[in-house]
Amino acid sequence: MTTTTSAPRTRRGRRARLPYVLLIPAVAVLAVGMGYPVYWQITTSLHTYGLAQQFGQPAPFVGLANYTRILGDERLWAVVVRSVLFCLVNAFLTVGIGVGVALLMRAVNRIVRVVLQVSMLLAWAMPMVAAVTVWKWLFDWRTGVVNWLLVQLGATSYDQHNWFAQPLSFFFVASVIIVWMSVPFVALSVFAALTQVPDEVVEAARIDGAGPVATFRWITVPMIRPVLAIVLLLQIIWDLRVFAQIRLLQDSGAPVSETNLLGNFIFELGIGRQDFASAAAVSILVLALTVLVSWPYVRSLLKEDRS
Amino acid sequence: MSATVRVRAGAAARPAAADRPDATVRSRRTGVRRLAGRVLAGLVAVAVSLVWVFPVYWMLLSALTPNARLRAMPPTFWPSAATWSNLRDVITGTSFATALRMSLAVTGLTVLVVLGFAFLAALAISRFRFRGRTAFVLTVLIVQMLPAEGLFIAQYKMLSATGLLNSVIGISVLYTAAIVPFTIWMLRGFVEGVPADLEEAAMIDGLSRTQAFWRITLPLLAPGLVASGVYAFLQAWNEFTVALVALPAESAQTLPLWLRGFLAASANKGVDWGQVMAASTLLAVPVIIFFLVVQSRMTSGLVSGAVKG
Amino acid sequence: MRIVRSAALAIAGVMALAACSSGSTTPAASSGSDAPGTSAAPEAADITLWVAGGDTPQELRDYLITTFAEQNPGSTLTIEQQDWGDLVTKLTTALPDPANTPDVVEVGNTQSPTFTTIGAFADITDMYDELGGSKLLQSFVDVGKVDGKNYALPYYFGSRYMFYRKDIWDAAGLSVPTTLSDFAADVKQLRTDTMSGFAMGGQDWRDGISWVFANGGELATQDGGTWTSTLSDPKTITGLQQWQSIYQTASNVPATERDVAYWDFLNDGTDGAAPEAATIMAPGWARWSIGDLTKNDAGDEVRDGMADTSKFGVFPLPGVDGGVAPVFAGGSNIAISATSQHQQLARNLLKIIFSPEYQTMLGKHGLGPANSDYVSSLGDDVFAKTMIETAAASKLTPAAPGWAAVEAAFVYEDLFQKIAEGGDVTALAKQYDEKITPMLNGQG
Repeated sequence: MTTTTSAPRTRRGRRARLPYVLLIPAVAVLAVGMGYPVYWQITTSLHTYGLAQQFGQPAPFVGLANYTRILGDERLWAVVVRSVLFCLVNAFLTVGIGVGVALLMRAVNRIVRVVLQVSMLLAWAMPMVAAVTVWKWLFDWRTGVVNWLLVQLGATSYDQHNWFAQPLSFFFVASVIIVWMSVPFVALSVFAALTQVPDEVVEAARIDGAGPVATFRWITVPMIRPVLAIVLLLQIIWDLRVFAQIRLLQDSGAPVSETNLLGNFIFELGIGRQDFASAAAVSILVLALTVLVSWPYVRSLLKEDRS
Repeated sequence: MSATVRVRAGAAARPAAADRPDATVRSRRTGVRRLAGRVLAGLVAVAVSLVWVFPVYWMLLSALTPNARLRAMPPTFWPSAATWSNLRDVITGTSFATALRMSLAVTGLTVLVVLGFAFLAALAISRFRFRGRTAFVLTVLIVQMLPAEGLFIAQYKMLSATGLLNSVIGISVLYTAAIVPFTIWMLRGFVEGVPADLEEAAMIDGLSRTQAFWRITLPLLAPGLVASGVYAFLQAWNEFTVALVALPAESAQTLPLWLRGFLAASANKGVDWGQVMAASTLLAVPVIIFFLVVQSRMTSGLVSGAVKG
Repeated sequence: MRIVRSAALAIAGVMALAACSSGSTTPAASSGSDAPGTSAAPEAADITLWVAGGDTPQELRDYLITTFAEQNPGSTLTIEQQDWGDLVTKLTTALPDPANTPDVVEVGNTQSPTFTTIGAFADITDMYDELGGSKLLQSFVDVGKVDGKNYALPYYFGSRYMFYRKDIWDAAGLSVPTTLSDFAADVKQLRTDTMSGFAMGGQDWRDGISWVFANGGELATQDGGTWTSTLSDPKTITGLQQWQSIYQTASNVPATERDVAYWDFLNDGTDGAAPEAATIMAPGWARWSIGDLTKNDAGDEVRDGMADTSKFGVFPLPGVDGGVAPVFAGGSNIAISATSQHQQLARNLLKIIFSPEYQTMLGKHGLGPANSDYVSSLGDDVFAKTMIETAAASKLTPAAPGWAAVEAAFVYEDLFQKIAEGGDVTALAKQYDEKITPMLNGQG
């Protein structure tokens, strides 16, 4: 896309300053709201900082000791692998289903569309605690509707089936919940982006003989690409540090050590053991991991951005 | 290029274009196939709606069920022994009104500031090339990757030192800083969806730059602003972890903290799940209202303005 | 234009609200003059008490507020309720902050060492005798003690005991067991495919450790300041093996479950279905979720609190050779924040809490009073008797500096699940000893 280089000469000085002026509010609020906490996090990760330090005892500088200890922790790597897999599966599932729902919104008539939009919004508006609790109830081994339904449909082996006993089926239920909770955001955002795609262009492509798949791939996707990109990136970021849902699901009884993700790990170090320095170090490692996982993606975003 | 521009301007005036009956004449066979496709799409859409609504319905149902009958076997799918006690108790027996006011203040302030700041920044990075641009874009991207769970001590110290604990301003600054990065990226996507040439074309037609922006660009951004606004609203509305440390006083509680109070099992009683579900239902209602209001305002108000212009 | 104006109004409204709420948070007066021991009347102020969870009933809170205001003219007491799950987070941030610290706080008994060992609480040794001294529940006093000084004292205790279906036990010709092995044999006999003789999840170690305690075993012992996990101790092993056997022969609950709403198992279904368990172990308050369906004053369906004594009953878990087996005691401690600017007023509040009047009120509301002189206020029905009996024999988890870390990592949940699944107890005990010992000493 071309930029506005054709501005009249006389206004060039003001125009050159304008983008900086536009950025001031955002930069200021980021500096005020995030500056100190991020600084604190980085310095704390280089010191010994536990509950005693929080209550005023000196915090000795230990260099990278917190990092080396964590990287040497055998549990960390299992958690990292599990988290990355869980994150990628859920992020792509969410965006895939979300785009599907958005396309569905465009394909149906007005009434059905409103029904679909309101359903999505209701699910999005449901508080997380209530959502996880309800899903937990639905999958309960004793009184769950899912087991009851499966038994009614003839799958009697699901009577008293415990979905949370095995890590794999635990993560299946966790994924159902996470995808269910995240799809509304993706669907509504992508649908908003789709409204920017002019019907005439799609129509023209169709007249030229392009099938729906080709139209979607070559016309729609490029046009909603910026929104699609950021939505996927956000899902990756979120799903990599999902915590509260997993924690709530574990509360009903699950093989805890085999179902912990990175978020649980940070929580256990920070709140659980009051080892705030290690928790800070893990947070920064998670940041590095997120950059790593999303790097190909961030690079293409930046490349696209520069062109 | 200018053909595209005109086409896009046309689309802008009719955002609900998907509903229009087809103007193009086509063969009957494709017509039948398209009709079948539409019916199928409609059926799938209804099925999807059911899947997404069912847990919400279950929450509502549980809110209307006495505790003794919750999670009974076999399940009942309609409120057979409905009671209003849960809803009544959570509204009257607690600080619901105070928490609601606090939540509205925090969320209202956050959404307005986030949208304003993020919109300006999105304009800057999508409409201008300037030194430091890539650095800014990258910073914004990385800031959102930092797990927030480890920040609570620093956030508390910061607010305590500035006397902003328990205040709307203090927590709104934290929320804004957390939500703004993503909103910038999101809005940037939408701003880039509106070609700059469109504004220039309008300016050639005699509009000033400001007029062009208000009449052409902004209406096209309306869906994006709604989507970002709903996102910001829900982030601030349902936020719990930061609120827990930033608003320690009971008098300054927001609704998620208030909801948490119902999850406390105690030496005297177990968790009253009927009340939890009733409180959760109440928490969701303002979100729905907000969405419906914003949705109708944005689409009717701004877009019709554009049509008139 | 309409949009612009309403937006401006909204901002103005928001600002006004913001001004209100920030105005109410002027930092507490920074006069530290009311140092402990001074007999002069402390400067009047508003002090804050944090209670944890909904355990302290409203009537007791009202009593504290009015009595405190009467005894300390000009001063007031504010009571704020914290959620158990967030208590540590909030204490971590607020206690070190003199301007915003609560003055008196309730903490879970096993959480006490976490804060007493780092100096978060004020030394109240000089008040110990005045507040009840040796009459106070000693296991709770001990977890609040560091180097012989008292920092946290017991607030109230709860207990856990067995709830059972008397009709089902009677029909099987069984009576209340008097030894732990009788109990094991009875619940094994009662178990069917659709009903647990004794319903217990595999991860429920807080119930499971009763079998360890009953056999004279310990989870960990302290020697010269160093903690050692003692799972491999022969007595502990015996207890764990007995628990493994009872889980496998009497419980239908999955090995991965814990903190299940067991009381649901004991009830007849809402459609009259047979109960899913003949016996459960639960805290005393479970009573109010057990019984036949009835209507309360508001016309809602509730359980009747085990009104039918021919159908429901309670008994304490019996010991190995009769008597009562020690169980894990729930409950909390209370302490004064070290950074409180109103030490004398905070001490005055403690005096009210440990007064005969308040201790009696605790008992009347079913909370075990800290001072054993007032335990009789719990009443003399079978529930009160069982509670007093089990509490007298109750034990706490080790007061080790790293205990919070062990709980946070769900180590015992993992261990008990593996035992429940049929793992070799001796091997598991050895493996987990190696894991837990460094954690207890804060090196894990």
